[in-house]
Amino acid sequence: MENESRRKFLGVCAAGAAVVAAGGVAYPVFRYLAPKAGETGTEKVVFAETDVPEGEAKFFQYAGSSAVVVRTKAGQLIALSAVCTHLGCIVQWEKDQQDFLCPCHAGRYTPDGTVISGPPPKPLAKLPVAVAEGKITVG
Amino acid sequence: MPLLKRVYDWIDLRIGAREVVKQELTGYLLPRNINEWYSLGSVLLVIFALQVVTGMLLLVYYVPDADKAFKSVSYIMNELPYGWLIRLCHAVGSNMMVAVLFLHMLSTLFMGSYKSPRELNWLTGFTIFALVQAISLTGYLLPWSQLSFWATTVATNSASAIPVIGPYMVEFLRGGKLVGPPTLGRFFALHVAVIPAVIVALIGLHLFVLKRTGISTPPFGAKGEAKTWPGDVYRHESHPGGIPFLPNYALTDLSSISIYFALFLAVVFFAPNLLFTADSFVPANAFKTPAHIKPEWYFLANYQTLKIFPSELLGISIQAAAGTFLALLPFIDRSRERDPFRRPIFLACVIAGILLWFGLTIWGHYS
Repeated sequence: MENESRRKFLGVCAAGAAVVAAGGVAYPVFRYLAPKAGETGTEKVVFAETDVPEGEAKFFQYAGSSAVVVRTKAGQLIALSAVCTHLGCIVQWEKDQQDFLCPCHAGRYTPDGTVISGPPPKPLAKLPVAVAEGKITVG
Repeated sequence: MPLLKRVYDWIDLRIGAREVVKQELTGYLLPRNINEWYSLGSVLLVIFALQVVTGMLLLVYYVPDADKAFKSVSYIMNELPYGWLIRLCHAVGSNMMVAVLFLHMLSTLFMGSYKSPRELNWLTGFTIFALVQAISLTGYLLPWSQLSFWATTVATNSASAIPVIGPYMVEFLRGGKLVGPPTLGRFFALHVAVIPAVIVALIGLHLFVLKRTGISTPPFGAKGEAKTWPGDVYRHESHPGGIPFLPNYALTDLSSISIYFALFLAVVFFAPNLLFTADSFVPANAFKTPAHIKPEWYFLANYQTLKIFPSELLGISIQAAAGTFLALLPFIDRSRERDPFRRPIFLACVIAGILLWFGLTIWGHYS
């Protein structure tokens, strides 16, 4: 009986040590593979106002994702996430139609990101944009 | 625990797991006089598994491009959390694998376990040994540092001494006249795909042969078990009345693995730069050869042998002859006696060979 409880105790100790060792191995491996914190891209993106003429759009990397600034024919400047809300494809600017088309499943959005047609469940996310001294600042 | 038992029962019902465990582990009997040296094979399996795992992890961030390789390794070492640990485990592990393989082969040699009917064990083991050196050589280039670049130049250059085909062989291996970006591509493919696949296959064959022939009985310790194989029909050398692999010898394996890990982690944590020189931290420059560049420690004896002979051809021929002699040793040495203390000439030759190897290695290091 005493032997059995000793054996059980040793078994529990060995199992505990094994769990600790496994954790000691798993933690560095997890940290090594996990995306680095703060690696989401720049907080603010600045470019010249002349980069976005009327009726055209400029795509760029923003906060680790894709974004777009579009200047409508009415002169309004809009910054949006370029990630389609359906399955995450990147939308394209259709200059002739003056709207966004997602080439994956033909989702269409207005220049301000509102869904016109197709499967997207939500409008494109809006991003803060400002114009000062001939420069466009997103973020 | 009842849950684990139920899972085990469920599996057992389907594949007869208990029968396999009894046959291959608890009922797998080993000679009563088996010693710790027999556990080096298990240690090597653990080292190889660790090399595969750390290698896979390094592949996540390593870029096999001459312009980016060094930067990617620097990124792994300096920027990624625990990247240094994974890279050091891989680099130190490769050296340890060669060292433990040396010991494994020496113990096999010393105890005469290479002898008939275990010629195939020796041949497969010898080939694995050669391949482990090849995988280490190819991996050495991948960081694309000054050390790796020029050590690879020196190591690959040796083959050019082979008459007629030597220079072409070197060019073929390097993918050009000199070590360069094409060499990196070739060595990368060999290091991560070709050689590991062959090593895995050969380990499988080595273990298969070991299981079929049966584990050898040490030539010393408690006697009375060793049987002489007449060589007429296939016979599995079993050890009735021996000790079970599980739990008895598995604990010895575990002890040896723990001792190995103690040594291995001591190097990783307390002497991380043991294997690196200042040239390891400088990106490769094909126009600037660093002074005193040398191949890895396990090639130093070969390197020095080439240097001491007036003709490189003579040096390489002697090495080829020595290698062939060792590979074919079970076919040359056909005496039945396995106890090294009853084979003074053999014992003297082994000790002289070891001393010669150490002497040449030290000489190569300081030359």
